[in-house]
Amino acid sequence: MSFAAPLFAWVGGAIALGVVALHVLAWRRPPTSLLPTARFAPDAPVHTVSPAMRPTDFLLLAVRVLAIILVSAALAGPRFPSRIQGLGRVIVVDRSHGSDGWASIDRAARSVYRAGDGLVLFDSAAHAVRSPTVDSIVAASPTRASGGISAAMVVAIRAATELQRVRDSVDILVVSPFGGDAFDGATAPIRRVWPGRVRTMRTGVPPNDTTRARPLDVRAQSGDPVAVALALEAAAPLGAVRVVRDSATAGDTAWARQGGAVVVWPSGPGDRGWNPRAAPDTAFGVTVSSLVAGSPGSPARSATVVAPFIRRAAPPPGRVVARWDDGDPAATETSFGAGCMRSVAVAVPPAGDLALTPAFRRFAKQLTGPCLGAYAWAPMPDSEVSAVLSADRARNAAQTLSVSDTRARDSTIARWLLAAAVGALVAELVMRRGAANATA
Amino acid sequence: MREPRTAREEERQRRGEGEGSSPETRSALLDAIRGVKWPALRPVVGALPGAHHSRLRGAAPELSEYRVYRQGDDPKRIDWKLLARSDRAYIRLAEDRSTVSTLLVVDATASMAYPDLTLGKWKAACEVAVGLAAVAHTSRDPVGLVVVSGDGMRRLPPRTRRGIVGELARALDDVTPRGSHALAPAMSGIRSRIRVAIVSDFLGDAEDVRRRAGEVAAAGGEVHAIHVVADEELDPPARSFLAVDPEDASLARPFVPEARAAYLERFAAWRTELAASWRAEGLSYTVARVSEPASRVVRRVAGGALGTGRAAAPDVRRETR
Repeated sequence: MSFAAPLFAWVGGAIALGVVALHVLAWRRPPTSLLPTARFAPDAPVHTVSPAMRPTDFLLLAVRVLAIILVSAALAGPRFPSRIQGLGRVIVVDRSHGSDGWASIDRAARSVYRAGDGLVLFDSAAHAVRSPTVDSIVAASPTRASGGISAAMVVAIRAATELQRVRDSVDILVVSPFGGDAFDGATAPIRRVWPGRVRTMRTGVPPNDTTRARPLDVRAQSGDPVAVALALEAAAPLGAVRVVRDSATAGDTAWARQGGAVVVWPSGPGDRGWNPRAAPDTAFGVTVSSLVAGSPGSPARSATVVAPFIRRAAPPPGRVVARWDDGDPAATETSFGAGCMRSVAVAVPPAGDLALTPAFRRFAKQLTGPCLGAYAWAPMPDSEVSAVLSADRARNAAQTLSVSDTRARDSTIARWLLAAAVGALVAELVMRRGAANATA
Repeated sequence: MREPRTAREEERQRRGEGEGSSPETRSALLDAIRGVKWPALRPVVGALPGAHHSRLRGAAPELSEYRVYRQGDDPKRIDWKLLARSDRAYIRLAEDRSTVSTLLVVDATASMAYPDLTLGKWKAACEVAVGLAAVAHTSRDPVGLVVVSGDGMRRLPPRTRRGIVGELARALDDVTPRGSHALAPAMSGIRSRIRVAIVSDFLGDAEDVRRRAGEVAAAGGEVHAIHVVADEELDPPARSFLAVDPEDASLARPFVPEARAAYLERFAAWRTELAASWRAEGLSYTVARVSEPASRVVRRVAGGALGTGRAAAPDVRRETR
């Protein structure tokens, strides 16, 4: 309940306290009694008389305070939030794992969203959108962080509790690919906090879907040693990887933004943006670490090639994925949207059998792995998702909310309060007259 | 114009407590004072035969003495038998008895309406007044009444007719003690040689009343003061309260246990001083407690109890011619 004019409530409370204080002070005056020989009593100040409280004063005080409170409450205009009949929902949208699957998630979320629903967006963290609309879903941008349904459920339950004040019942709808990485040990206990229904809508495929091995996309001239090495190695990286032996084009950039890994391994002196060396020199070894990191149980692997390499340029700044024997970066990787661009400054001689050596083939295979941070992603089976999220709670049936439209109560309550206040004032008048006549 | 009834008066009316006494009480009172005589404190001068010794000597049947016949005496009064025996002329003298008008002045101001629920002082005053009226009427004395209240004074001239006591009682029953009014003006216009009984608590113009009473006594009249005191005034409740004078609302005194002793001392000293002042004037003063039966008070007033201070009036007799 709230008040339209809370000032009246405060003023009424202050007046009531004042009346109580006056009654307490009045109690310090003794009761009056007629005595014809009063003149013979010593003349003394009246306030020194010890207090004598009459039980009837308590009742008169209570009636007066009640009248004041009723009047002030009526003037303050109590309000009760009106309830809107019908089902309310909180849409929980997964925007993790990049943008490849985001399109389908976006379409699915917009298709189920209705005006008045709550909206929660989550990746590794979750937040509730204030005053959400369908455009809030459109405006949301996907991130490469992994999703956390536990955090999303916490925020969704809070939002649902707020929405429950104005709706008869509230459901939570989670739109997500429901990968295994989104669930943790807290998800089920958090779900049990919410007594209502939780529905799931599985859609979208994470862009870095490393569950499928895809053929390596190599753009190179015929007979290119790197292409040959990769073909011989039967490199089939998990995820989308493209190797370009010339310069990266706008299409390559766009492809990287969408979650692919573009390996720029120019066959020439270097791509634009690279730093040319003051003078070409020769390195005799290069090592690359495993680009498949974060995979449980998968130790990081490295590959080294010992051979003379002429170094003409240094790769652009980024995360170093390969180093020369003297420690200089030989290959770097930079994030690009949902994907990445990997620059390899290892010049493979066009002639010779270096590309045919097993070491180089392993080296090339390592360099053509998915973007850093990518890991094997596996969807949670539907049965497990249902067991954690979608189990209906028996309390749903017992969740009774008032369906009465209380908007009309606001105006009548003030009238009843005023009527009660008038009654209390009349009672106070009668009691006061009765007390006065008793002492007359 | 009479003031409207207060809620307290209406409460008493609802309870059936009348301002006066009930007929049963009056009957018991009259039975208790049957045979009581109220002789005058001094010989009276009156033309009508009555029960009181007269200051005149006349031809009453009761022989008192003989006197030598002097020229001018009424020859009819010569005792011829004595003349025959003694060969001297003597006149028979006998004491006349006369009546004395009795006026009852009753205080009906607000101070007499105490305690406020029972009106004990007023009822006691009414009973004493009715009792004295009955005693006086039995001796064939004219009895009158003056009731002084906040509504003014109501007078009933002294009469000897039958039923005058009932009239007085009804007049008292019709009065509600209220308001404030001086008592001394009630004795204005009083003829000399009249007996006045003032029934009051003397909390008003006591000095003026005593002064006027002294004037009446000096003129040959007789004044009795019956001081009505309530038990609650002599022994107020022990609780703390604010005591308010019913005739003066501005007079309010806190009554606490610590002040009780001072109150009792002051009140007692005032009563003593009042009694002494009345008696010093040669006036009769009697205290009538509310708890005391009215018949006892009437007997005390009529019989002249000890300490009333009645001055022995010189036995002055004047012969009639």
